[in-house]
Amino acid sequence: MKHEIKKISKIVDELVTFFLKNDTDEIDIKIKKDEKNIIIKIVDYNTCFNKEDIDCITKLLCAQRQHEIEAYYWQLAGEIDSDSELILVGAMIDKAKVKIIDKNLCIELIRYR
Amino acid sequence: MRLATIDINGKEIASLIIDNKVITIEEINNIFQTEFKTDTFEILVNNQWDKLKTFYDEMLLNDSDNIIFSPTILLTDFIKIGGIGAAFINSAIIGFLNLYLLKKYKMRINGLLIAAFMTVLGFSFIGKNILNILPIYLGGYLYTRYQKISVKDVILVIMFSTALAPLVSEIMFSGIIGNNFGIAVGLLVGTLIGFIITPLSAHMIKFHDGFNLYNIGFTAGIIGTVFASVLRVMDMKISPVRIVYEQNNIAIIIMLSFLFLYLMVVGFWVNKNSGTDYKKVLKYNGRTITDFTQLLGYGVTFFNMGLMGMLSLGYVFLVGGIVNGPVLAGIFTIVGFSAFGKHPKNCIPIVLGVVLISVILGYDLSSTEIIITVLFSTTIAPIAGTYGVGIGVLAGMLHLAVVKNVGVIHGGINLYNNGFSGGIVAGFLVPIIDAFQKGGE
Repeated sequence: MKHEIKKISKIVDELVTFFLKNDTDEIDIKIKKDEKNIIIKIVDYNTCFNKEDIDCITKLLCAQRQHEIEAYYWQLAGEIDSDSELILVGAMIDKAKVKIIDKNLCIELIRYR
Repeated sequence: MRLATIDINGKEIASLIIDNKVITIEEINNIFQTEFKTDTFEILVNNQWDKLKTFYDEMLLNDSDNIIFSPTILLTDFIKIGGIGAAFINSAIIGFLNLYLLKKYKMRINGLLIAAFMTVLGFSFIGKNILNILPIYLGGYLYTRYQKISVKDVILVIMFSTALAPLVSEIMFSGIIGNNFGIAVGLLVGTLIGFIITPLSAHMIKFHDGFNLYNIGFTAGIIGTVFASVLRVMDMKISPVRIVYEQNNIAIIIMLSFLFLYLMVVGFWVNKNSGTDYKKVLKYNGRTITDFTQLLGYGVTFFNMGLMGMLSLGYVFLVGGIVNGPVLAGIFTIVGFSAFGKHPKNCIPIVLGVVLISVILGYDLSSTEIIITVLFSTTIAPIAGTYGVGIGVLAGMLHLAVVKNVGVIHGGINLYNNGFSGGIVAGFLVPIIDAFQKGGE
């Protein structure tokens, strides 16, 4: 797909902006690309988010992939820091897992190629 | 049909009287790009009466043909040139075509899709017809074949991009290219627009960072400006017109009232707590992407759509306006985007700004031009939603100033003129507001 790498960068940009702005000062990111998938793993250390916040993030990220939203709006991801675009991230990925492990918020995003 | 002279503001103008309706020769010339004399005496002296009768038999008798074969640039009200029946049939045909495409490509109905559908439906009263939108759809389809992507990915952008449909009609039927090549060039230009608009629209959104909800309006404004400039540099004149239906029709008003009431009832039917949950809608700033169907569900979304429709219709009545083609487009667009960011709290400050500056400048609030500016100005509702009432009012005031001047740049070939203006206002205002805000990382 066109601009695939740039789209991954935009997703990561959005998430880094979101977590640094709203939650933490320490993040790990791992990106793995193979023939079928692109997997993005993010660990947000010592999260301050409560259960309600995490449920909301999970709901937005676990929404169905929406190709038409992606084609129209993908360049908007990560553009500003006064608002978040987690809906857009949710529309650009196929699967999301959100877990709390030892007070750290661990997110795994899978995007089919 | 009779030839008559009517007095408009002390000026005698030749007109045709058809079934108790009056159409001036000037309007006929504007719509059909004819060159009949506008003075009754000159028509008779120049032996144009017989030509007018022949023209009437060939052109004016067929309402649907008027819609299909008119140049359709802003502001061409299909209710005026084709009649209420033909205008609604045109809207229905375009609506069913789009519904068919959404069904064929198994699109999930989200807020943006509702917005796109309602916008296309509304603008089928002022500029879109089956002939001028099809080349754009073809261009979008060719883009997907060229890039080897699914039509599903771009169908939504293509639906919106029919904002430039008047360019197709203008080239085909206004005679600026020449009768032999006009239709072929019009089809080609429409196809080209459909091909290029998807990458352009994705790129343009960065200019206003999603604070202008009608992003394609901004993109189409840029494309329209380029195309109009190319036509003008080749000495082909292209300029906006004003053909507007000036009577209220009770059937349209009743139909709209029932439609919006129906949406509110369905909202309650889907979600019994729509009333209490509605408070949550008002918490969102409305900036792209605020998809209420995803965030709050279909019940609250439908309720918001119905309520916004009622408020829009109520405003038109309050100022003594007419529900004609352009106003229908404005109302339908608001209702559609009420599934994708708009709600009373972020729209009212913008509307207040437009109304306030209109009153200060002495504009007639009941004129169709000001009413549609008020309705479409809500494209920048996210500015009020994000930065508050004061900035919202300021943005509304600025919007009126800009929208009054940008139409002439693209010569009326971009139907979403307020989207173009909204993009400029948001792109100008938001970084300035940001510069004045203190603190933060």
